Amino acid sequence: MPRLSTSLLAILVGVSAPGAALAAQEPPTPQQTAGARTEAKASPLVSTEWLEKNLDAKGLRIVEVSVEPGVFERGHIPGAQNVVWHTDLVETVSRDIASREKFTALARRLGIDKDTTVVLYGDNNNWFAAWGAWVLAQYGLVDNVKLLDGGRKKWEAEKRPLDTRSAEVAASSFAAPAPSPAFRARFADVLAVAKRERDEQILDIRSPDEFSGKVIAPPGVQELAIRAGHIPGSVNVPWAKAVNPDGTLKSPAELKTLYAAAGIDGSKPIITSCRIGERSSHSWFVLSRVLGYPVRNYDGSWTEYGNAVGVPVVNLAGTVWGGK
Amino acid sequence: MSGPVAERSPPLPRRPALALPTGRELVRRVAPPGIALGLVGAALWLSGEPGGSRLALSLTFGALFGVVLQRSRFCFYCQWRDFLVAGDPRGLLGILAALAAGLAGYAVVLGAWMPDPGGTRLPPDAHIGPVGPVLLLAGAVFGAGMAISGSCISAHLYRLGEGSPTAPFALVGTGLGFVLGFATWNPLYLVSVADAPVIWLPRHLGYAGYLGLALAVLAFLAWPLMKRLPDPVAPNLCRGSDPLRALFSGRWPVWLGGLAVGAIGTLAYLRVGPLGVTAEIGGRARQAAGAAGLLPARLEGLDTFRGCATAIREALLTPNGLFVAGLVLASFVAALASGQFQPARPRSGHAIRGLLGGLFLGWGAMTGLGCSVGTLLSGIMAGALSGWVFGVAMFAGAGGTLWLGRRTGLLT
Repeated sequence: MPRLSTSLLAILVGVSAPGAALAAQEPPTPQQTAGARTEAKASPLVSTEWLEKNLDAKGLRIVEVSVEPGVFERGHIPGAQNVVWHTDLVETVSRDIASREKFTALARRLGIDKDTTVVLYGDNNNWFAAWGAWVLAQYGLVDNVKLLDGGRKKWEAEKRPLDTRSAEVAASSFAAPAPSPAFRARFADVLAVAKRERDEQILDIRSPDEFSGKVIAPPGVQELAIRAGHIPGSVNVPWAKAVNPDGTLKSPAELKTLYAAAGIDGSKPIITSCRIGERSSHSWFVLSRVLGYPVRNYDGSWTEYGNAVGVPVVNLAGTVWGGK
Repeated sequence: MSGPVAERSPPLPRRPALALPTGRELVRRVAPPGIALGLVGAALWLSGEPGGSRLALSLTFGALFGVVLQRSRFCFYCQWRDFLVAGDPRGLLGILAALAAGLAGYAVVLGAWMPDPGGTRLPPDAHIGPVGPVLLLAGAVFGAGMAISGSCISAHLYRLGEGSPTAPFALVGTGLGFVLGFATWNPLYLVSVADAPVIWLPRHLGYAGYLGLALAVLAFLAWPLMKRLPDPVAPNLCRGSDPLRALFSGRWPVWLGGLAVGAIGTLAYLRVGPLGVTAEIGGRARQAAGAAGLLPARLEGLDTFRGCATAIREALLTPNGLFVAGLVLASFVAALASGQFQPARPRSGHAIRGLLGGLFLGWGAMTGLGCSVGTLLSGIMAGALSGWVFGVAMFAGAGGTLWLGRRTGLLT
């Protein structure tokens, strides 16, 4: 029970709550005008250096969400707990985020409460960790949820310690509220934007070839759509443009410039979209949590929209479905 | 019959022929340390590349595995045949030793990774496959392939390093067998595999319960074998007092190799993944067959199963590819150093039996989601019922084919 004993020690020596330490870590996020959301009080990112110094901090839960099986077990950040994207954060029979009951059970097992600081990280540039942050946000866990900047890749590259033992944490008594619709765009929302019935912006973060319709999906993926192309009115900024070579996110100023070049400046509500909504949750995190823009993630994404009947589609590449 | 008769364990180590030409002798002295250094260098280089530590470890574990297989002649079929034909139980006891050591090692690792085995999750990438009639069929066909070609896939790989005239044909046959397996996968999946349960025994018995039961089963199997042990002759290891000679001359006792296999299996699972030798062969065969238009458009459900995954390779270097490369090269080094590298010119018998047996091996390994290493060893160690079922079917298939072959005079 190392965590418990260090927690007790922390109380005894009167160490302050980690929130204060977190707040000092990064420059304050830019102020945001549109939308009725709460402003991020502290940075939504923590650095690998900060995390290593605060591994035993009281009220901190570290959660790994990696997509490759066995990655967590063969070595994770000390004290981290494992969340399996394919089973824990989604419904496995119907296509949906984890139900309220399922999420409550998960959060309790992880020892996460409303006031817990949660640091998420994972493989693949934090894609699935960002998806985790998006699911947590819908169940009311927003401002205290941080991403480890640079994810697993940076932690490993810096040769920081890994552990193979499982952390034992006390369960919480968290009760998930009904999921908030403020973070999730549905098919009808996207269709209304495509038909210009609503003045919102769609950010499609897939590769340029997927966006143009040259290919329906990246090579090797099973989940396809019947049509190629993109939702009318959407703009294309591939997710990777928001990331530095070492896996960290670019600075807020650089990010603002990047998205402003595509016409996205936070003045209008934004919907992020990709193929299954998982890479786009990465961009959702960048836009909503780092830049403070009003953003919803469309998890139906192209596998829903591109399969829908009777909806407008833009296909720049001119790929025509079916035979020659 | 000039076929590749399963090698018999020599009572005494072979002495290197005295009349070797100097050139060959020179190669024997220079090549082993040279290749060994090359392997070490490759592992060091890989470990320095970003994300390369897993690849470096795979190469290292593969090399260790190759040395152990070669030195102890850890070959499922040879040992089974030794017992059936010559009544020598030592090899089978070595296989049981490997399972016992690996079972204990896996229990330690799994207990740390998944303290509660009772949930719905399976331990990460452990080889726990569906159990049904198709698995039985796959095991039996794999066993028949062993009897026809003279050994299983891992043994063909280490024998490639010994200069076996059959192994190259058997491995080509295995690749073709995989393609055949892909071609028959969809109907088998729809008729049976889709409904076959994936049974992980520790979920029902707990780790201690499974370990206890499995060790009891192994002891039960070992009991009659122990009674048939030959009278102790001067063991190879004690010949002279030179430990280097004991390591590099003659063979290790199979039980020693078995214990090493169990240890390598555990360490490999802890750091990289379960032992297996067919993922790369299968993956490359799938890639080639796909490019040649020989694959079904979709392999139903295949990539959702555990085992020696044959998912299409994107990278040039994969962990399993390096594991297999390390195995073959290190076995070559070990064979060369001990004077057991004896290349022979293949004759038509070698080619026919290799290709035909390899075809059976490949089909069985594809359909059974692994071979005697991936499904049997790694599966049983991890607590998969599929490992036990495949094992029973494999030994039965090999024994039956051997019996039939000896009756008809086609096998020796």
